[in-house]
Amino acid sequence: MSNPQPSTSRRAFVKSVAAGAAAAVGAGVTPGPVQAAVRAVQYAMVIDTRRCIGCHACSVACKAEFDVPLGETRSWVEYVEKGEYPNVSRHFLPRLCNHCSNPQCVNVCPTGATYKRAEDGIVVVDADVCIGCKYCIQACPYDVRYLHPDRGTVDKCDFCLHRVSQGLVPSCVNTCQGRARIFGDMNDPDSEVAKILATNPVTVLRQGMGTEPNVYYIAADHSDERDRRFDNHYVRVTTHRRAEERR
Amino acid sequence: MGELHWGLPVIGYLFLAGMGAGAMTVSASVLLRGGGGFFGGQHFRIARYGALIAPLPLMAGTGMIVFELGTFQVGMREFDFSLLFRWINLFKTLNMSPMSIGSWVLGLCIMLSLVYAWTFLSAHARDDDTFRQLRNALAWVSIPLGIAVAVYTGILLGAMPSRPFWNSQILGLLFMLSALSTGVAGILFLYAFHRTEENNHAARHDAGYILAASDAILIGFELLVIFLFIMFAHLTVGDPAHAIAVILPGGSLAVLFWIGVVVFGLVVPALVELHHVLPRLLHQKPYLVKRWVEVAIGAMVLGGGLLLRYVIVVAGQVTGPVGI
Repeated sequence: MSNPQPSTSRRAFVKSVAAGAAAAVGAGVTPGPVQAAVRAVQYAMVIDTRRCIGCHACSVACKAEFDVPLGETRSWVEYVEKGEYPNVSRHFLPRLCNHCSNPQCVNVCPTGATYKRAEDGIVVVDADVCIGCKYCIQACPYDVRYLHPDRGTVDKCDFCLHRVSQGLVPSCVNTCQGRARIFGDMNDPDSEVAKILATNPVTVLRQGMGTEPNVYYIAADHSDERDRRFDNHYVRVTTHRRAEERR
Repeated sequence: MGELHWGLPVIGYLFLAGMGAGAMTVSASVLLRGGGGFFGGQHFRIARYGALIAPLPLMAGTGMIVFELGTFQVGMREFDFSLLFRWINLFKTLNMSPMSIGSWVLGLCIMLSLVYAWTFLSAHARDDDTFRQLRNALAWVSIPLGIAVAVYTGILLGAMPSRPFWNSQILGLLFMLSALSTGVAGILFLYAFHRTEENNHAARHDAGYILAASDAILIGFELLVIFLFIMFAHLTVGDPAHAIAVILPGGSLAVLFWIGVVVFGLVVPALVELHHVLPRLLHQKPYLVKRWVEVAIGAMVLGGGLLLRYVIVVAGQVTGPVGI
């Protein structure tokens, strides 16, 4: 029985490994502009709650933009009141889809109707594919999805994709009186959003859910009515939605 | 109070599909374990009842869940056939969503249960007839597939951190045990109705004995899993502890859960079953049980299974994460 001949000699193998390692090291020192060229766009929104006056102009603009059915909301503003007189406060918390980097709604969609667009990171629903099973409504920690009563499919904020693709900002951003909503590509270091994110302390909603939201808040009051159980403080949240309590 | 996006159709589906899958799994297990011999042909009769029952709740439950689809509801209202049959999109793809995998598994399970039932359809079906090989082969596939249908519903609900009440690793196991238990109860329920004086002798009771004893064991495990389900959530802090409070004393669903599910759905029927099973198990006394008792046990376990789905589906939707 003859000895089988290896297809590659040991010397050739060591050479190829060394060449691969050298290539890997070379790739590590590739200059910045080359990397920037392949960086994906990720649209994001920063909401500076210090500038929000709770006027609901964003909610109304959104309603008008999409002819959102009565009783449903794509974007809304919550009022958070807390404390006992004279130590009281009232904050406003504008809400919308967080276009998460790890969207749970996408993970559970059985038909692939809801997906995160590779080109700009916007989470959308394809109404021609959606069957209206409402699994994504259950899975969204932010309760931003609803079943469209006329179509029977799920609908939600899409960062005004039809406007953004034309170089405009979303309708809610366009209409915001206090300029509390700032929109842009957070991966573009020159964008206003990226500059604000880099220079301000920001928070996201329900960070513990692991969804990695792309809507950031400055000075948001994260108080919830259910916090009362723990610290015995008066907190009242007015959602201005049909669902009078947050999920 | 959260909105109930999933209502009675989903509750009915979880119960019926679980029961059908359970009956199919029990039927196949009994067929492969007992064949025709040990209890004088009783194993085969149990397997036949289970096989004949299984497709009906599976199909009825699946039919119910279609009614929960938004597109189907609008399709009915508008007479739009493209919306009525939009659910076919489920079978145009297969992804890692529990609902996608579950749809395929459920579809396969229904088809399998129909063929499996067909092998038992003849009134003269016997263990050694011409279908024997096919029947046994189908039974081997029925067990994993039936368990998959029962378990996936628990995974489907449990996969969401946004629903802390459901977000438990043990929910799939609870649904599986409840499915098997209600599957046995379904067989027992129909079996009791078919009791005649003619077969009301010791051999007939063997079948009742096997069913009651199996059901008691399954209920025992189910109670243990319910205990673990509650304790894991209650002893932690944050979202799960907050959510589980809805079924603990003082919670809005506590009475329905403890009285309806635990007492009348599990403990009482299990005690009645043990009362009749233990004399034979321990003292080799004949297994004697009145027809109405068997019917009542079956009905209580089935009612408990339905209430369990009701409480879990509602509790998951009226609770949510704490804080924002």
